[in-house]
Amino acid sequence: MRVKLGCATLALCVAMGASGANAQSGELTIWSWNIAASSLEAVVEGFNAQYPDISVRVDDLGNQQVFDRLLAGCAAGGAGLPDIVSIENHEAEIFWAQFPDCFVNLRDLGYTEELASEFPDFKRTELEVGDAAYAMPWDSGPVVMFYRRDFYENAGVDPASIQTWDDFIEAGIAIAEANPGVTMTRADLNGDTEWVRMIGNEQGCGFFSDDGSAITVNQPGCVAALEKVKEMVDAGIMTAADWDEKIQANNAGTVASQMYGGWYEGTIRSTVPEDQHGLWGVYLMPSLDANGPRAANLGGSSLAITSASQNPEAAWAYVNYTLGTNEGQVTMLREYGLVPSLLSALDDPYVSEPLEFWGGQAVWVDILGTLDDVVPSRGTPFFGDADAIVQAAQTQYINGAFESAQAALDDAASQIALVTGLPIAE
Amino acid sequence: MRARNRIAYGFLAPYLLIFAVFWIWPIIYSFYLSFLSTRAVPWTWAPHMNWGRLWIDPAFWNALRNTLVILFIQVPVMIALATLLAVLLNSQLLKARGIMRFAFFAPVVVGEVAYAAVFRLMFNADFGVINKILTGVGLPAVSWFSNPTAAMALIIMAVTWRWVGYNAIIILAGLQSIPDDVYEAATLDKVSKTKQFFFITLPLLRPIILVCVVLSVIGTMQLFAEPFLITNRGGPGGATETLGLFLYRQGFTVLNFGYASAVAYTIAGLAIIISLINFWLGRDPK
Amino acid sequence: MKPQSEMRSKSSREMIRTIGLHAVLVPLAIVWLFPLWMMMVFSTLPENAIFSAQIQWLPGTHFWANFEQLQADTGFLRTLFVSIMVALVYTVLSVFLTSMAGWALARYHFLGKGMVLAIILGTLTLPYFVVVIPQFIMVARDFGLANTWFALIVPPLFNSLGVLFMRQSFSMMPGELFDAARVEGVKEWKIFLFVAMPMARPTIAALCIILFLASWNNYLWPLLINNQPDMMTAPVALGSLIGLTRVSWGGIMTGAVLLTVPMLVVFVLLQRHFVAGIAAGAIK
Repeated sequence: MRVKLGCATLALCVAMGASGANAQSGELTIWSWNIAASSLEAVVEGFNAQYPDISVRVDDLGNQQVFDRLLAGCAAGGAGLPDIVSIENHEAEIFWAQFPDCFVNLRDLGYTEELASEFPDFKRTELEVGDAAYAMPWDSGPVVMFYRRDFYENAGVDPASIQTWDDFIEAGIAIAEANPGVTMTRADLNGDTEWVRMIGNEQGCGFFSDDGSAITVNQPGCVAALEKVKEMVDAGIMTAADWDEKIQANNAGTVASQMYGGWYEGTIRSTVPEDQHGLWGVYLMPSLDANGPRAANLGGSSLAITSASQNPEAAWAYVNYTLGTNEGQVTMLREYGLVPSLLSALDDPYVSEPLEFWGGQAVWVDILGTLDDVVPSRGTPFFGDADAIVQAAQTQYINGAFESAQAALDDAASQIALVTGLPIAE
Repeated sequence: MRARNRIAYGFLAPYLLIFAVFWIWPIIYSFYLSFLSTRAVPWTWAPHMNWGRLWIDPAFWNALRNTLVILFIQVPVMIALATLLAVLLNSQLLKARGIMRFAFFAPVVVGEVAYAAVFRLMFNADFGVINKILTGVGLPAVSWFSNPTAAMALIIMAVTWRWVGYNAIIILAGLQSIPDDVYEAATLDKVSKTKQFFFITLPLLRPIILVCVVLSVIGTMQLFAEPFLITNRGGPGGATETLGLFLYRQGFTVLNFGYASAVAYTIAGLAIIISLINFWLGRDPK
Repeated sequence: MKPQSEMRSKSSREMIRTIGLHAVLVPLAIVWLFPLWMMMVFSTLPENAIFSAQIQWLPGTHFWANFEQLQADTGFLRTLFVSIMVALVYTVLSVFLTSMAGWALARYHFLGKGMVLAIILGTLTLPYFVVVIPQFIMVARDFGLANTWFALIVPPLFNSLGVLFMRQSFSMMPGELFDAARVEGVKEWKIFLFVAMPMARPTIAALCIILFLASWNNYLWPLLINNQPDMMTAPVALGSLIGLTRVSWGGIMTGAVLLTVPMLVVFVLLQRHFVAGIAAGAIK
C-alpha cells in the first residue's frame, strides 16, 4: 500500500523534474569505484533523455581512494571535490561528524521525507542527522555465496546440501581434491574484515550496537564468526586474496566460491572470460546451525552532493533520477548487479528472470529473498578505527597469537573503547 | 657591521621565509593541535586526550615495535652490506666496474612507487616470479602478504634493495678520501688485507658510517611508502604498520589530526634521541 | 728462485682474491638488477602472460599496448607533464634559494649566524612527518591552495642539505677574488650571481640532479595535497592504480618504466655528479 502511494508521488516528482529539465544544464563530475562507477555511467543515457544539457563524467578512483581523497578534500575546505561522491554507508558517519559543511543538505534540494520513506530505515540511519539528510541511499549488499557449478559437480557436491559452515568446510576439502589447483574460497584476510562482518551480521552481531552507543564486537555472534574464519583457514579451504587477486583467481579458474554482497553479481558477470558463462551459480550463505539465519548485508552505498558543486540542482536531478526512480535503479541492477535500496524497484520484472549467465538460475529471486532477514548493522563515525583494530586482532588470532576468538575480540573491544570512548556493551 | 647583517639576511631571507612559514609555524601549530580533541567539529581543548591515549594505545605500540624491528634488523644489515659493497667496488681487481656500480647504485634513482609496484608484482603469492622460483627449486611458496613475518621480511628486503647503494656511495666516497700512504705503510709492514680493513679502514670510516646510520634512522622513523604500497597499508592486519603509516592513518584515514600530531612529536623525539645515542656511541674514544 | 716463486704466489693469491671478489659481487649484482629487469619485462607483456604459470624472463612486444591502457586509465601523459614541470621549477627555485642561503653562511659574519646554522643542522635530524599534518592543514584549508602549482612546488623548497652543500662549496673559494671585486665597487648580489655562482658550477650540477630526483620521486606530499586528476604527479597517479580493480599491471609497469628509465639514463650519463651529490649529503 505504502509502496504504491510512494510510486505515485515519485512519478509526480519525475514529471515535475522533467518539466523543469529545460532549465537544467551544466557539467557534473562524480567520484566512484569499480562497477559502481560503471553503473553510474550506464544510467547517463536514460538521464540525458530527460536532461539533455547536463553532461556527466564519472571518475573511477577505487574504493579506498574515493574515501581518502574525499576526506582530504573536505579537510581542505572542499578543494578539488567533484559534484557528487559515492560513500559507503558504514563509512559515512565520519563525514557528517567532521565536515557537515562539506555536503549539501538534500532536504533543501527536494529530497523530501516522502521520498526518503521509499527506502528501508536501515539504509537511512547512517545518512541522516536530525533534520538533515546528507546522502541518498543507493544499493544494499545482501550476502550470498557465488560458486562454480563445474567445480562443485566434479566433487559431487550439491550446493543445496551446504547448510552450515561445517558443511562448507567439508565440501571445500572435497572440491579441492576433485579439482587440482582450485581453492574453495578466498578472503581478504590481510586488508579487510569482510568475512567476520558477514558471518557476524548473519549471527546478529556488529562492531557497534544499532544506536551506535556501545561496542558489541566481542559478543557471541562475532566471536563465532572469527572462529569459523580461522577454522576455514586452518582447514586450507580459505586463502588470502584482496579484491584484485580474487578477480584474478576468478578469471584463472582457481577458486570455487566467493562470498560477497549481491553487487558482486555484476563484478563476476562483467569480468570473467567468455568460457565461464553459464558455469557460475548462487546459493545462500551457510549458517552456524542447520536452521540458523542465512542472510547478511555487506556494503551498500549512497550518493552525496558536495558543497563544492557549482550546480547542486543539476547534481540533485542526476542523483534523484539514478536512485529515486525505478528506471535508474533497474538499469544499474540489470547492467551491473547493484541491488536497489528503492523498495519499489524490487518489483521490476527483471528481478524474476532466469539469467543465462547464471546457468538459467533466477539469481535475483534468491539474493533479494534474503533482504527481509537482514539485521541492520551500524557503521558509526568510528568504523575506520574499529575496522583497523579488528583486522589486527583477526590477523593475530589466525596466526595463533590469541588462545581464543573471544580473547582476540575482547582485546579488540577494549582497544576500540580506548579509541572511541564508547562503553563495551554488557 | 650593520650593513653586513643586512646583506647577509638579504641573501637568507627567501630561505628563512619558507622555513618560517612551512616549518616553524607548522611545528608550533602541531604542538597546539596535539592538545585538541579533533574527533568531531568543533575541535575542543582536551589536553590529556591524545597524549594519554598514546601511552596505552596498542596500535601505536605495535607501530613502534614494527619500526624498531626494522631499525634493529634492517639498518645494521644494510650498513654492513653497504660497507662490504663499498670496499669490494673500490677494489683494484674488479672487472666490469661500470656494470657493477650500476647494479647497486641504480636503485637510488628508482622512485618509491615504481619499485613498490614491481615488488608487489614479483612477490604476488599466486603468480609472482619469486614464488615461481621458490617452487621451481623445490621450496615451498611463501604467502608474502598474509604471513606477518614474511610481510615484514619483504619490507626489509625491499628497503635494503632500494637504499644499500645510497649508503655504499657515501661510504665509497669516504674510502676514496683515505690517503693511499696509510695503506702503503701497512703493506710494507706485512699487515694482511683483512687486518688492514679492521684496524685501519673501519676506524677511519667511523664518522661516515655514523652519518649513514643516522640518515637511515631518520629514514626508518618515517618509512611510509613501502608498507603503504607493497604490503597494502601495513598489512596483514597491521603487521607492517610503521610509525609513519600509523601517523598517516590517524591523520588522513580516520582524520584525527590532534592524535596524529601527538604521534608526530613522538616520532621526532625518538628520532632525535636515537640519533644522539648514535653520536654518543660513535664518538671518538679519546 | 725465491723471488720468482714469491712472485708466482703473489699473482696466484691475487687470482684467488679476484675470483673471491667476483664470486661475491656477481650474484649480488644479479639479484640487485633483477627487479629492474623484471620491471622492463613486465612492461612489455600482456596481462595473461604476467599472470601465467610460467616465468617470463624475456621482454614481449606489448609495451605500446600497455602504455595506451595506462594512458586510458590515468591520463599518464598529463601527469608526466605535471611531474616534469614541478621538478624543473622546484629545482631552479631551490638551487637559488639554497645557494643564496649557503652564500650568506659561507661568506659573511653576521649577528645570529650561529643560530641559523644550528637550526639548519637541527632540522636534518627532524623527520618531515612532524610538519606534514599542519603543513597540509595550512596550505589546503587555511590558504585554500590545494590542487595548485604553488602547493606542489613551494612547501618542499625548504632543504637543509642543499644549503650546507652550497655553503661548503662557497667557503672553499678564495676570498681574495671577491674582495677584489668589492674594491672595484661591484655590488654584493652581482658578486654572488656573476662571480661565485659560475665558480660553483660542478656543485650546482650535482645539487640540481639530487633536487630534480627528489622532486620527481616525491610521493607523500603530492599525494596529500592533490586530489584532482589534472594536477596529479606521475608517481601519485601510478600509486593510485595499485589496488584498483581491473587494473592493468602491464600498464602500471609501463608507468614504472617511464618514471625510472629516464632517471637511469641520467644516472649513467652523469654518474659523477650523482655520486658527488649523494656523497655530499654525508660530508659536512
